[in-house]
Amino acid sequence: MLREEWRLHRSLIGWAGSGLFPLFILVLSAGLALAARLFLTNLSTSTILLMLHVASVMYGLFVGALGHVGERVMTRRLGQINMLLQIPQIQPISFKRTLTLFFLKDAVFYVVYSFIPITLGVALVSSVIGVSLRGVGLLGVTMLLTFFMGMGLSFLVSASAARSRRLAGALTLTVLAMVSAVWPLGMLKLGHLLFPLGYWSSGNPLLLVASLLVASAFSVAGTLAVKERFDSVQHSQRSILLPTEGRFAFTKDMSTLMAKEWLELRRSGTMAQVTMGYVGVLLGVYFIIWLFEEGVGIPLPFNVVSYAGFVGFMGVITYSWLTVVEPNECLNAMPMTVDRVVWAKILIYLLITAGISAGYVTLIAALRGELGLLIPAIVVSEVTSIYTVAVTAYLTALWTNTMFFDVRVLIKFSAAVVPLLTMIEVASLWILGASPQATAAIGAAIALELALSVQFIRGINGRWGKASFTFTATET
Amino acid sequence: MAVIVATNVSKRFGKVEAIRDVSLSVDEGEFFGLFGPNGAGKTTLLRVLTGQLDPDSGEVVIAGVSHRDPIGIKRVVGIVPEAETPPSFLTAQETLELTCRIRGVRDIGERVERWMDFFNMEDSRDVLCGELSKGQRQKVMLACAFIHEPHLLLLDEPFINLDPIYQRKLREYLSALVGEGRTIFMCTHILEIAERLCTRIAVIDGGRIVEVGTIDQMKESDGENLEDIFMRLVGEVPGLTQ
Repeated sequence: MLREEWRLHRSLIGWAGSGLFPLFILVLSAGLALAARLFLTNLSTSTILLMLHVASVMYGLFVGALGHVGERVMTRRLGQINMLLQIPQIQPISFKRTLTLFFLKDAVFYVVYSFIPITLGVALVSSVIGVSLRGVGLLGVTMLLTFFMGMGLSFLVSASAARSRRLAGALTLTVLAMVSAVWPLGMLKLGHLLFPLGYWSSGNPLLLVASLLVASAFSVAGTLAVKERFDSVQHSQRSILLPTEGRFAFTKDMSTLMAKEWLELRRSGTMAQVTMGYVGVLLGVYFIIWLFEEGVGIPLPFNVVSYAGFVGFMGVITYSWLTVVEPNECLNAMPMTVDRVVWAKILIYLLITAGISAGYVTLIAALRGELGLLIPAIVVSEVTSIYTVAVTAYLTALWTNTMFFDVRVLIKFSAAVVPLLTMIEVASLWILGASPQATAAIGAAIALELALSVQFIRGINGRWGKASFTFTATET
Repeated sequence: MAVIVATNVSKRFGKVEAIRDVSLSVDEGEFFGLFGPNGAGKTTLLRVLTGQLDPDSGEVVIAGVSHRDPIGIKRVVGIVPEAETPPSFLTAQETLELTCRIRGVRDIGERVERWMDFFNMEDSRDVLCGELSKGQRQKVMLACAFIHEPHLLLLDEPFINLDPIYQRKLREYLSALVGEGRTIFMCTHILEIAERLCTRIAVIDGGRIVEVGTIDQMKESDGENLEDIFMRLVGEVPGLTQ
């Protein structure tokens, strides 16, 4: 399965793109560690450890939800690509066993592609940031154990959900109750739930053993809960493509594609994930601003415009969700081009996110008493959102999740987005003082984003107009 | 008049040369069959002819449209791909409606009803394609290829997963189309069906066209059937008894 995973990545994004990804993570980690050392001087060690371990468990929760993955989901996600996961259909091997091996393969994959490069990256700059190599290694181990706890829990809940939504609901409520005991009730410390984090305050190595046992217990329970067969049930739906098309008449000759995308989004269950994912993104933005407000040694005048820049940037995550609904290979046999489907996805993205992001920015402005900055903030969030999705769509078309594992694509995306976002964020720090230079800088960044958005969106046709709906590495 | 003209077409995937210097032409009103062993290049050639793949070299002209205009080719032909992959989250009816819209068909309701009736899909019209059986999905893909009444059809294993009733129905429909002067280019392994339908055939092996002509022209003796011709041209499998 590991060989299969490597070959799949290599076939989708090429040897260089796939092989250099861990190196990219290593360099990025070293850079972030240095930046944190330079700028986040106001954060205590315990706060940094808390943030790193919360990030690790969230990462594990995000990637571990494999329990609902049946062979049909794999087929839907990958089109005509068949994986070993589907082999129980015709061979005398249980799906429980196959999915467990798939889960373990994924765990190894994330260790090799994420945790080892992260640890090595931080180790590379350990002498500069004032942390011993032993400390870095230990941090890598505790973060990894926390990741496994999250991944195991997510696997258990998702496997339970495939059997019984009530059981999954009960498990989720139990976890939320335990988290509530930490915050806001304050009855427990987070280290009482995330044992590796607790190790850093108590120094008790048994907590590390316990975390491994808990992660293993979650994983074993998840394995036992895995459904062996996914029933083939035919659900009757009303055929409503043409009436739905009427609702998108304002998009003119895109209305049919818009209707198709909308129905697929709703019926696949991805709509809920896209919406909740975007809400999660907005919480993430709130957290990033808090990090800078609390962590930097000098007080920085963050304001709603600072939030707005990040809100727009994070839209890339939402767009990537939209691209995993349906492989669209049947469109290879029709007079339809990849770029038109990409435009439909961009329009759907804007329809979903524009209102939510404007509402979020309005809420932040109201909470912070900065309603005077509401209009510029909304402009910044919407234009940055359009720009980010234009860059993403231009670089990755319908294969965002796959192509972001290609380090060449990541570098191009970073080069296109980070400088302008940085310009907006830095300029926003002076806007409370009504600085004309800050206003001009933000105005220039917005104007440039708009102009470049037009270029990127126009460029989608040239870049992807002749591409097949069946993605291969030759597309990059 | 030739509606399919391929001249010295080659296509490579990495180190593998899937098709090499393939030249063939198909005239209007022909039922043309392409046969070959597994991995011979049939599907690759079909995908090049239908504009789904760009050839590395050579020229392709389909109904007067160059391979450099793949959308133009797809507008004028009907394609049944190798695998049945209709959209998972659209119903059978919606998939046909989508096809009609993309192809600019005006009388959508009438056409959709006609093909729902032809393939007896009344019970599954409102079922998501992802939940249909393979045979039902194949019917949806066939209906999508026929619904705009193209003059040229390119079909890759059209009979696959169909029960005998619909194999016969499809056979009769395709014969009727050719009788009206339309053209069909078909890849199939079901030689018994092909022998009944094809007016001219080509055999491909190792990416090259081995032989082209009518079945009668290819026979070395009166008793030979298409299977015998196939075995003779692409080589018998060692150890396989008669």
